[in-house]
Amino acid sequence: MTSDATSASVGASTGAAAGPVKDGPAAARGPRGGRGATAYPRYVAGKVAGAAVSLLAVLVTSFFLFRLIPGDPVKFMTGGRQVSAEQLAVYREQFGLDLPLWQQFTDYCGKALTGDLGTSYQFNAPVVDKITEALPNTLLLTGTAFVLYTVLGIVLGTRSAWRNGGFGDRFHTGLALTLYSLPSFWLGLLLIVTLSVGIGPLPGLFPTGGMESGGGEEGFAYAVDVAHHLVLPVVTLVAVEYGQTLLVTRSALLDEMGSDYLTTARAKGLRDDLVRRRHAVPNALLPTVTLIFINLGRTVAGVILVETVFSWPGLGGLFYQALSVPDLPLVQGLFFVFAAAVIVMNTLADLIYPLFDPRVGR
Amino acid sequence: METNDQHGGRTRGRARLVLAAGAAALTLCAGLATPLNPAPQEARAADDDSKVLTVAVAQSVDSLSPFLAVRLLSTSIHRLTYEYLTNYDPEDNHVVPGLATAWKSSPDKLTWTYTIRSDSKWSDGEQATAEDAAWTFNTMMSDPGAATANGSFVANFEKVTAPSPTELVIKLKKPQATMTALDVPIVPRHVWEKVDDYAKFNNDKDFPIVGNGPFVLTEYKADSHVRLKANKDFWRGAPKFDELVFRYYKDQDAAVSALRKGEVSFVAGSPSLTPAQAESLKNDKNIRVNDAPGRRFYALATNPGAKAKNGEKMGDGHPSLLDQRVRNALFMAVDRKTVIDKVFQGHAVEGAGYIPPRFSQYFWEPSADQELAYDPAEAARLLDEAGYEKNGDGKRVGKDGKPIDYRVLCHATDPNDKAIGQYLEEWWGDLGIGVTLNCLDNVTDPWLAGEYDLAFDGWSVNPDPDFVLSIHTCAALPATPEETGATDNFICDKKYDELYARQLAEYDAAERADIVKQMESRLYDLGYMNVMAYPNAVEAYRTDHIESITTMPAKAGNIYGQDGYWSWWSAVPADSGDSGDGSSSTGVVVGIVAGAAVVVGLGVFVAMRRRATADDRE
Amino acid sequence: MTTEKIPAARPRGLAWQRRRASAARFWRQYRAHRAGVLGLATLVLFVLLALAAPLLVGSDVDDVTGAPGSPLERPSAELPFGADRFGRDLLGLVIWGARVSLLVGLLAAVLSVAIGMVIGVTAGHFRGWYATVIMRITDWFLVMPTLVLAIALATVMSRSLLTIVVAIGVTTWPTTARLVRAQTLAVETRPYIERARALGGGHWHIMSRHVLPNVMPLVLAQTTLIISSAILAEATLAFLGLGDPTVVSWGGLLQDAREAGAVSAGHWWYLVPPGIAIALVALAFTLCGRAVESVLNPRLGVAR
Repeated sequence: MTSDATSASVGASTGAAAGPVKDGPAAARGPRGGRGATAYPRYVAGKVAGAAVSLLAVLVTSFFLFRLIPGDPVKFMTGGRQVSAEQLAVYREQFGLDLPLWQQFTDYCGKALTGDLGTSYQFNAPVVDKITEALPNTLLLTGTAFVLYTVLGIVLGTRSAWRNGGFGDRFHTGLALTLYSLPSFWLGLLLIVTLSVGIGPLPGLFPTGGMESGGGEEGFAYAVDVAHHLVLPVVTLVAVEYGQTLLVTRSALLDEMGSDYLTTARAKGLRDDLVRRRHAVPNALLPTVTLIFINLGRTVAGVILVETVFSWPGLGGLFYQALSVPDLPLVQGLFFVFAAAVIVMNTLADLIYPLFDPRVGR
Repeated sequence: METNDQHGGRTRGRARLVLAAGAAALTLCAGLATPLNPAPQEARAADDDSKVLTVAVAQSVDSLSPFLAVRLLSTSIHRLTYEYLTNYDPEDNHVVPGLATAWKSSPDKLTWTYTIRSDSKWSDGEQATAEDAAWTFNTMMSDPGAATANGSFVANFEKVTAPSPTELVIKLKKPQATMTALDVPIVPRHVWEKVDDYAKFNNDKDFPIVGNGPFVLTEYKADSHVRLKANKDFWRGAPKFDELVFRYYKDQDAAVSALRKGEVSFVAGSPSLTPAQAESLKNDKNIRVNDAPGRRFYALATNPGAKAKNGEKMGDGHPSLLDQRVRNALFMAVDRKTVIDKVFQGHAVEGAGYIPPRFSQYFWEPSADQELAYDPAEAARLLDEAGYEKNGDGKRVGKDGKPIDYRVLCHATDPNDKAIGQYLEEWWGDLGIGVTLNCLDNVTDPWLAGEYDLAFDGWSVNPDPDFVLSIHTCAALPATPEETGATDNFICDKKYDELYARQLAEYDAAERADIVKQMESRLYDLGYMNVMAYPNAVEAYRTDHIESITTMPAKAGNIYGQDGYWSWWSAVPADSGDSGDGSSSTGVVVGIVAGAAVVVGLGVFVAMRRRATADDRE
Repeated sequence: MTTEKIPAARPRGLAWQRRRASAARFWRQYRAHRAGVLGLATLVLFVLLALAAPLLVGSDVDDVTGAPGSPLERPSAELPFGADRFGRDLLGLVIWGARVSLLVGLLAAVLSVAIGMVIGVTAGHFRGWYATVIMRITDWFLVMPTLVLAIALATVMSRSLLTIVVAIGVTTWPTTARLVRAQTLAVETRPYIERARALGGGHWHIMSRHVLPNVMPLVLAQTTLIISSAILAEATLAFLGLGDPTVVSWGGLLQDAREAGAVSAGHWWYLVPPGIAIALVALAFTLCGRAVESVLNPRLGVAR
């Protein structure tokens, strides 16, 4: 998600590079330094351990942060009904709210390790069930958008860098920056008004929301129906997201094109085109690869707005709904899933980076 | 350099692969989907032309178990899938037979005998009997888990038995006038007695769900849709539509757009369509906007110095509000006409008594000299008289010497609360009284703790007003500050309580209505519940999908959230058919063109890339 | 202390001269970036509008009781942008909203950058276990889903502008911290730092006199970029209903418009101006930030 409060990656990526982007390569330099193949497993072990620590930290935060939300869940559950002290106590016991905080915490951690994230207050169902119900929907939306904006960003970014300073470059950079500056929810609303309700002579082409028509379609017809619902939310996500990939690819390529070895290659008499394609692009893609993985994690977490606007039955909508209760177990579980997505993707980026780096002599 | 070259080559191959995959994905979702859009509708039409009624909803289902569900959508689904003992007439809300065909009370008012109909079958073929009803009530009385949603209905029950399959006998502890308004879904015993924990069972795994209402629940996908099939054997007659689908639109604008496009046949909004939406839908010739008197009242509640039943003080309501003159002055400074004209833009009726005019037998209006009409000058005079005079800064000062600043609790999710809150700031600001709007997603906590001065309040009123009256009795207060009561606003007034007890024991309808009106009068004078408006139910449906539909009350009433299944059961499909929409053919044509354009564009793009690569190779 | 001041006067004068010169050089280079100049001009325009708002539209523009139009009135000569749900002048509200949106964006960015700077400089200066721990925390904040965390924070605290500022500020600092730390590490390897240390300069002296001036340009660029995302974040949180409903901001106007049903009713005039204002200002800040960056690091600039 770019229009959320994420870091100022568009600008930063063109300059000193955003933290994670520059950091991936920097950290990855570890195994490269001549120690060869034996260093890689140790590097992997280090990264995985680091990720495990982060995940634990997220578990702790999600538990304590959301205890600060004002609101007694038991009062919410029984709101508007006459409840005696005994009944309240039964409820508290049922949800483990009668125990001291530290004990609730150890229980929570113990259960979390066995894959049990507790029971949702408002849906009266295991949190894990609610999450697994909504997760595929979110993955479908973010996955499709991710593939598209990554491809679009890399392709346009490469072209922009080749034609640096030309009209195409200025146009694409400008367009990407402009779309990146749009609030995604606003863009989504405008798309609904124009492409789904229809304006003037233009009829509505796409559904206004949801993931399926619910008309009992099966097989291929169902897939088509879902794909049809997918178009507008995906377009919204792609529009606000692709700019970042474009700019990072572009600046990485420009960076690479100034390198000495390219001058050497050119001096060897290789054609400019060939030099760029064979040498510059593959190397410049490296920072982009890192960014791609980080984006994937962030997109899962940042999809809340688009899901809200398009009534997509995914994790984002669930999170927003859970916060207003507050449905603590569900909020905690979702927060954990969001953060875990980012952590896992970051770690993957770290792990994959050395493999992609052609300079690693392996 | 060698290595570099090889790697370069490989990476490019990979890049091309990714590109191809991306192109494929784009083609799938943009290209393929659009031209094939009519497929689902065709498929549906081929299905023996079955008529589907699609309703846009926003509220999540909390549970599909009748023992647990409390939200409006869930309980509406239960109305459609399970019979209750009695139902309410759509004409004028009087009680009509449901699962029970007749009922009578004993002379001592403590025993009620219901005759259960013999022509109602569960959808699995079993007969629905008095035994099922007795089992349902007994389970609620014995298992706290099963009493979660509707336990209050059985709290006064002594014993429930079924002497024969068609006879149900309920013995009461005390007389109770609401015995023909037991809004409890009766569930099939043979299915439900296998459930081991009623507090955990959500009734959402085994479809179709066995029921005996006008519809049978056949499919549920959380926050996506709920599908019900018509029960062809329903004793009152089969519904005219073959299927009823509740489809989720979490965003109300999306729901309205879906209606305009014909994706859905009906939109109610939550709680109703906005004035702007209603206005714009009126211009569509295929859409009818139903702007009907609602069943809700919308009030400004005043903290009466919250106390628990044991006399312990709760919360921190402003002491000045204990003075009736102050409460009345505050309400007299609320310009209800502006509220109706500007905030509701005419889609509401100015407030008077506690019960909305839609329930004509209980509706009450203040007499001319009792009425607290809008009069800011008189309000200022009352405040002066009560001893809250302005200081040098023009602010009224409390007895503690500090300027008065009331905290007004508002629902962050209700635009009307926020809008009227801004008016209150200015109206009361003119009086010299400060206002702090405290808008929360979930107001339950400060509310139940009595930590507010004023609060926006509102309830939907049932045909039997007992519940909304009961929440202002002393008996509804929490026993101790730690517990939760059923009380709405901590009101505890002896005179009101006496009247409440009298109406509950009064089995004569006219007499009872008279007592209820006296209660409303008392409530009005106290100034703890100041009804500002009765918001209309503003909803809309497509006349090319639905030819006719029953509103409740029949003359001018709402469609969504009725007491009963009348609307969906009675809805008649229009000739032009199912959810297919008029504009679909043009939509499809343009869609095909747009999709084709995208595919061609992508093709050209990929071809260009190819050629560039080929150039490179030469 | 006072005795030290006198000999320090001349070198300090020199330093000022040097800084003035470099500022002038900076401006000359900045001017070469057309997009940056465009962004700056847009910003100046919006800032002037915001400052002059009380004169232009009057401070009673957000009064609901004295609203000049009828609710949701269409644009007309009198109300060029139409009226909002209370009948208030939308043009006036958009101008008035610039004050809040810019202020929140600015404060949130300042808070975020301040946290990032303190953490970055100290982590770069004091190595050892302190740096390890603090960078571990930074890394961990970096992987937190920012929007989710901001929503959670805004829910935990009461609804007010301060809440929004804190929610954005507290969730966006890690990037700055990492950049500043890297820069600090680079600066501290320079010989004159060693000299300063040898001359008895304490931690505070080195950090404030030598490191800070060197990381300032970077921080400036970073601030500009973060304001851009902070303005978007403010709009996002307000749109999700987490803002103060009584304060007029662009995000709040969009939320009002949505709640009033402007989207499906086709009241584009209610929906479009605040969105465009947000996009314009966010874009302007991004353009400025990029221009500043490419001045500082010309290798990445447009004119290679």
